[in-house]
Amino acid sequence: MSGLAHYFEAEGLATVIVALVREHIVSMRPPRALWVPFELGRPFGPPGNAGLQRQVLSEALALLDQDCPEPLLRDFSDESIEIMDDADWRFTGTLNDASPRAEAAGVLPIWQLARERIGRSSYGISGLTPEAAVEFIERYHSPEPMQISKGMAKGMAKVSRARFAIDDIKAFYLEAAMAEGGHPSTRQLLDWFWDHTLAGALIREFQETARVSEDSNLELIAYSLVPAARALSFLQG
Amino acid sequence: MVRLADIPEPERTVIADLDCPAYEDTPPVKPPPPAERHVAIVSTAGFILRGERPMLSNETGYRAIAADVEDGDILCSHVSTNFDRTGFQQDVNVMLPRERLLELEREGCIGKAADRHYAFMGATSPPKLEDKARELGRSMLALGVNTVVLAPV
Repeated sequence: MSGLAHYFEAEGLATVIVALVREHIVSMRPPRALWVPFELGRPFGPPGNAGLQRQVLSEALALLDQDCPEPLLRDFSDESIEIMDDADWRFTGTLNDASPRAEAAGVLPIWQLARERIGRSSYGISGLTPEAAVEFIERYHSPEPMQISKGMAKGMAKVSRARFAIDDIKAFYLEAAMAEGGHPSTRQLLDWFWDHTLAGALIREFQETARVSEDSNLELIAYSLVPAARALSFLQG
Repeated sequence: MVRLADIPEPERTVIADLDCPAYEDTPPVKPPPPAERHVAIVSTAGFILRGERPMLSNETGYRAIAADVEDGDILCSHVSTNFDRTGFQQDVNVMLPRERLLELEREGCIGKAADRHYAFMGATSPPKLEDKARELGRSMLALGVNTVVLAPV
């Protein structure tokens, strides 16, 4: 991101970065940056907090009004924001533990409720339906892998589709987990997904198979499907 | 509050060791006064529009997100496990605060929110982005944009 700031400034655009990793900014010295104390993936803070998002954006833009003979790095004014669990949050419904596909079929109506509540979905980069994404991953290493119809192909390599199908499965479950709202922490949501769903187990198993595979394409994604700390703890039992 | 030191290993080392090439200090552009600022947001979340081909790791190109695109048609194709996407799943503005930018425009805090915002793929080596970044910079200038808020993930 800091590299982009250097290139844009060189072309004549004034820039300011909302930075999540302070150490990267110190190292790469973009002209202006506001460091924010939020989780990676949330540069403007927790979801649904328009006031905080607005405050971050305003403080970032305000750096444009300061002289900066040297690279300017400021910290966000409010470092008091703590990550809290929501003790009342629970997944709505009962997971069907017969198989990953049966579980996904049971999650589907809950995910549809979540879509209505949230008003949108971030699901869809694989080009597969949720049930098809689960089936695609479940049968990936089998003698009879799932065939993708031409209409769904979109010129995507099989291994890329696997990576995106896995991300879609995560989105499907994690959106469903928000069907009744609440304010669960990221850790709560991920603990539930990785420790309590067959989909999480399916992805862990897929990653382990990919890790020892002789397929060089699979090796490319073999360490990027399960968060590294969780993969390590699963391996250590 | 999250600092690098709060991130669990081995993710912390992966993030700390990301490619951070040294740059000479770039002389900062003198920004226009607030009322003349025409502001675009550039993200590294690998945003695509629903139905587009997802961006791939180390891809050097960029995608545009027009102002009239519905939130539900903005997808994140940067699928690293190193950052959270549950926030984005609930609220696009967590990564791409285009509603907040429009509020600032309506209140006269900036001149204009850009008609398009943009996304590159994160974790791509910065020098590999130079050609496309400079191309996008010239394109934004041609559209009247003079200020960029950069939003990593």
